[in-house]
Amino acid sequence: MFKKVQKWFDERIELTETINEFNGERIPRSGGWAYTFGSLLAFLFTVQVATGIFLLFYYVPYFPVARDATYFIKHNVLFGSLLLGIHLWGAFTMVFILVVHMARVYFSGAYKKPRELQWVIGMALFSFVIVLGLTGYMLIGNENSWWTINVLSNVAAHTPFLGGFIRILARGGTETSTLAMQHIFAVHVWLLPIAVILLIPTHLFLIRKTGHQGMAMEYNKSKLPDDNIDKWKHPDATVPFFPDQFYKDMIVAIVVFVVVYLLAIFFVPEVGPVYNPLALHFAPEADWYFLANEELLKFFPGHGLIIFATFLVPIIGFVILFALPFIDRGHERSPFKRPAATILGIFFLLLIVYLTLMGGEPKAPATI
Amino acid sequence: MAKSSEESPSRRTFMMVVIGLLTAIVGVGLAIPIVGEILTPLFKKRDIVWAKLGKVSDLENMQPLTPTFIPVYFKVKQGWSVNTLPRQVIVVKDVAGKLYFFSNQCTHLGCPLHWIAERQKFMCPCHGGMFNAMGKVVGGPPPRPLFVWVHKVENGTVFIQNKFLDNPKERGI
Repeated sequence: MFKKVQKWFDERIELTETINEFNGERIPRSGGWAYTFGSLLAFLFTVQVATGIFLLFYYVPYFPVARDATYFIKHNVLFGSLLLGIHLWGAFTMVFILVVHMARVYFSGAYKKPRELQWVIGMALFSFVIVLGLTGYMLIGNENSWWTINVLSNVAAHTPFLGGFIRILARGGTETSTLAMQHIFAVHVWLLPIAVILLIPTHLFLIRKTGHQGMAMEYNKSKLPDDNIDKWKHPDATVPFFPDQFYKDMIVAIVVFVVVYLLAIFFVPEVGPVYNPLALHFAPEADWYFLANEELLKFFPGHGLIIFATFLVPIIGFVILFALPFIDRGHERSPFKRPAATILGIFFLLLIVYLTLMGGEPKAPATI
Repeated sequence: MAKSSEESPSRRTFMMVVIGLLTAIVGVGLAIPIVGEILTPLFKKRDIVWAKLGKVSDLENMQPLTPTFIPVYFKVKQGWSVNTLPRQVIVVKDVAGKLYFFSNQCTHLGCPLHWIAERQKFMCPCHGGMFNAMGKVVGGPPPRPLFVWVHKVENGTVFIQNKFLDNPKERGI
């Protein structure tokens, strides 16, 4: 029976051959577990899309109804807390794994020629996911959401020349209002997910085009010098993507899924009270992945220097990251053979961790 | 019958130019309404209204240099809806008896200020900005003193407008 169905499809669209070609890609053999982060991210994104779509069955993007709708999902919808929790922890996990994935690619020099485009697309995906996280935070509709929209649009207002306009466009007017929520909703639910859905296949297509290029340890047997680009085309040993690599991808995905699921069952934060501009003792807090920038904002006082924390440092940081493969053009892959890049990378990660921890410190007035 | 692109290189060029032009027409045609839609907020005039704060005689009974938070409610047209925006007005009387009407939003990035009576300071819970009772910056990153509401006194009643004095970049209220 199955053979007959298979034959029916093969006669028309050569299905078996297509699947075999797709699955049979050769993957360098020894680094298997280190190569699972990318597919883990694709998995997490799928989970986000699935949970996100069904959250829309009850969600309303309108202050102050949004908060009540979120509250309703958490407390009155059957398994709503779980659905909301998976969407929340899935998002947090995705941001974290993104950084891990980027760090892995950075330290193993996998962004180098011929894979520059892949890094650039990956950075675009990274930017979109961060904005997805921030807009998601704003859509909850509680006090923190409202202040996040206010504070972040004020941050955006420090962009040279265009700042004032950007703030008005982001808020849909001078004040954070109904239109602000509607715009954020459209960006979070349609614009950015579609951009990500288009870019993920591009990212994968580029891997297939440039060929899989693993970490330096995959090429120990090669006699070619490191600056010969051909060296990185022939790893010592390879395995097919399916099932060898896919098996590892699945195991990592299920472990992360169980962690996200347990967190969603046991640790879903309260939705919090509805926005009240008259509150006298409210201390807004940013999401954890924004705390580093939050901390940076405290360091640059006065008229002229605010722009360092709101615009220059983040923009320069992003431009350097985007342009990384065009700045670092050496052919060395091993982290031990390019100590400057490795030390800078470790320093940068430590700086981010430090700023995040500092930014998470309780705020002075709230603790008095 | 027209020649195919393989038979005539010039016809191939012609076809490619036409394809490019048609794509451009569709692109521009779609971009006009989309860009217009996105830029709409820039062309909308802000709805400016007055809201009642309270009697001058009551306000003048306050202790000098002791800020009082008094809520005002602006009924403002925003987009397709009319919303009530509740906002805090910080009323301060200086030693000479003059009244000041400050906004409670930090001039750094707009977080809500807390009045810490023990320290006689406004403190910002976000990035540690500090202001004294007269709205001057005494610490932290804020670039300027507190915003002052546009206000007027009519028949002994103070009215507040949903607008700040001296606000060149049009920071929202």
